[in-house]
Amino acid sequence: MDMSNPAAFVNGELLPNYIGKRVRAVVQVLQSDGAVTIGKSTDDRQLTVRGLPQVPPMNYVEVTGIAENNQLINAEIWTDFGKKFDINSNNMLCRLANGEFKSLFL
Amino acid sequence: MFSSSQFDATSAFSGGGFMASQATQLNDSSLSPARSRETQGLVPVTVKQISEASHSGDEKPNFTINGVDVTNVTLIGMVYEKAERNTDVSFVLDDGTGRIKCRRWVNEAFDTKEMEEIRDGMYVRLYGHLKSFQGVKQVVAFSIRPVKNFDEISFHFIDCIHNHLRSRVTVEGTTTGHPPLTDSSLNTPVRNTSNGYQAPSSNPLYAQYSVDGLKDCDKLVLDYLNQHEDMSDERGVHVDELSRELKLPLDKIMLSLKTLGDDGLVYSTIDDNHYKKA
Repeated sequence: MDMSNPAAFVNGELLPNYIGKRVRAVVQVLQSDGAVTIGKSTDDRQLTVRGLPQVPPMNYVEVTGIAENNQLINAEIWTDFGKKFDINSNNMLCRLANGEFKSLFL
Repeated sequence: MFSSSQFDATSAFSGGGFMASQATQLNDSSLSPARSRETQGLVPVTVKQISEASHSGDEKPNFTINGVDVTNVTLIGMVYEKAERNTDVSFVLDDGTGRIKCRRWVNEAFDTKEMEEIRDGMYVRLYGHLKSFQGVKQVVAFSIRPVKNFDEISFHFIDCIHNHLRSRVTVEGTTTGHPPLTDSSLNTPVRNTSNGYQAPSSNPLYAQYSVDGLKDCDKLVLDYLNQHEDMSDERGVHVDELSRELKLPLDKIMLSLKTLGDDGLVYSTIDDNHYKKA
């Protein structure tokens, strides 16, 4: 087992708590030019993701990577979740996984 | 008296200090339905939980998570380092909380076909058996399927939390000592059906009463019915009378009566509003 490199569930609000660390966030792509992607977190905050290929606008993408600052993630891995995704559940999960139930995740 | 299965469960706890006390508590408990949860079927877990699972018993390998025996687990994560051999396919599953080695024995054409679909970097839902091999925990998978609806990922982790809460209630008997689940936006009614004392947490009225408070209420109701046993006729005591005399809200009285009824201490008489002591 390797527990050395976890990725914390984050939304826009929680991202600043993990600067320099590995995070995973779901963003809805608003604008994507192949280098920088601007998107919306599941708690409706603007996030910038570097290292994503071009993703169709409005698609939900999960990115895992290092949080560079309050709004920027350097993506290492990404998964296109498509156009339909329950952002509320994901947002709640981010809050739970960073709150009372953090011990189950990190 | 303890059946053999109960005895097993108790000895399984003997590995850790705090487990022992929990086992004692369970033995003291008269709530036998709680026992049925000690060994669960398929448990949704995170890799982090597996990493912290205690392993006890050499003959019959047992893992305990939250004091609950766990053998079959379900996980969701990404597949890495997939390696195919003649008899099995091994890979590493990364669920974001950690990485665990997994193995799928390939015996039949079906197994081969299912594994062919799985590629590195893919999100999968895995069902498997938790094992320890040379001191290293691993999962022997009996089913691996690509995740098609990505809401399943959020669901799985929420399911892990839910299961964690449920087993905590079962093992500890109560949720005291933990903040009540009153994050209003979450509205997660956690109810231990085997334990009538646990009020639905989504109801703000109950949030102010501790579990002990409910027990007190049960006692008050029982005492009142006891004292008025002779005076009341066949019909018993009306719930409104209990509420009025004990100065407690009616729904709390009803809840206590249900608890006491489930325990066989009281029963309803001519209708659901009249109760007598059993």
